[in-house]
Amino acid sequence: MFIVDDLLINPFVSIMEAIHSMAISEMYDTTEIKNAIKENRLLYELGERSQAEYERLDDELQTQLEIAREAHEQTRGKVEVMR
Amino acid sequence: MYSQTYHFAVIVYRVDVVVVHTPHERCIGPHPHPPTRSQAMSSNLYTYGVIEQDTIEIDERGINGAEEIRTVEYRSLSAVVSEIDEMEPERTDENATAHDEVLRAILESDGGRTVVPMRFGMVFKNPNTLKNVLRNGRVAFRRSLNDLDGMVELGVKLVTKDDTDVDRPAVVEDVATRLREAADTEAGNDLYSDRLVFNRSYLVDRDEQGAFDETVSEIRDAYGEQLHVQYTGPWAPYNFVDIEISSEGR
Repeated sequence: MFIVDDLLINPFVSIMEAIHSMAISEMYDTTEIKNAIKENRLLYELGERSQAEYERLDDELQTQLEIAREAHEQTRGKVEVMR
Repeated sequence: MYSQTYHFAVIVYRVDVVVVHTPHERCIGPHPHPPTRSQAMSSNLYTYGVIEQDTIEIDERGINGAEEIRTVEYRSLSAVVSEIDEMEPERTDENATAHDEVLRAILESDGGRTVVPMRFGMVFKNPNTLKNVLRNGRVAFRRSLNDLDGMVELGVKLVTKDDTDVDRPAVVEDVATRLREAADTEAGNDLYSDRLVFNRSYLVDRDEQGAFDETVSEIRDAYGEQLHVQYTGPWAPYNFVDIEISSEGR
């Protein structure tokens, strides 16, 4: 519905832009990545993950976060998708 | 009959400190006259927190390995700082730990000190911009220092062990009730993992920390089989004071 709402409010927004922004928001959800970074840290502190495991996953998640931030940066100002 | 009523509120100050700056202070894009390395290295100040006016001697490395931790004074306030090259330090594990460690060293210095912590990443262009912020925010800083006098923050997390399942609402209620009895104020934090059952911070008078430690031991005895009990601190009271400084002010 929010795509329709966007289009009703702003007729200059193309449906492709709205769909693209929605896809970016879902694929690159920074909150989930940040939570995964914090969970990884917590499980390492509790001794459930080794330092090597923690560091490998942290590197991976930090890279994902950077990509997600860049993706959001690119779509900023085009279409705001309310979730 | 047990009928005590608790009135718990999180003390959070949200103060936007905005400093009017002259246009030449702010550099957007390439600087027409790039500073020499020595000038750049001594210009920016990373700020950890604010204390009652005093000088400090702390044997800790700061952000980006800074060797000297010192203060910048404005009237009855001192900001604890170290020098830094960039305006936006990278939030690495090492830097986040350095921020915490400096604040903990301040807390423990001089037989126990009160500190209003800054959030990670507060960098000021020079002592004058920092003094402006201390001046504009002095009422909030003073009020925070008074309210937090003698207080430390302690954190308690309960995390499920691998495949265990617990009655979460019942555990949360029991643990929260026990901890409130031993604390001054509580603040709830995000349950950022499905494994997290409980994640709260407590503001506790230094003199009462022993009683709080004892309560956490009892909780560990009661739930330690099914849950990890992570007890951390003392921390600077991050979750009980929040002074925001907008980037225009820095």
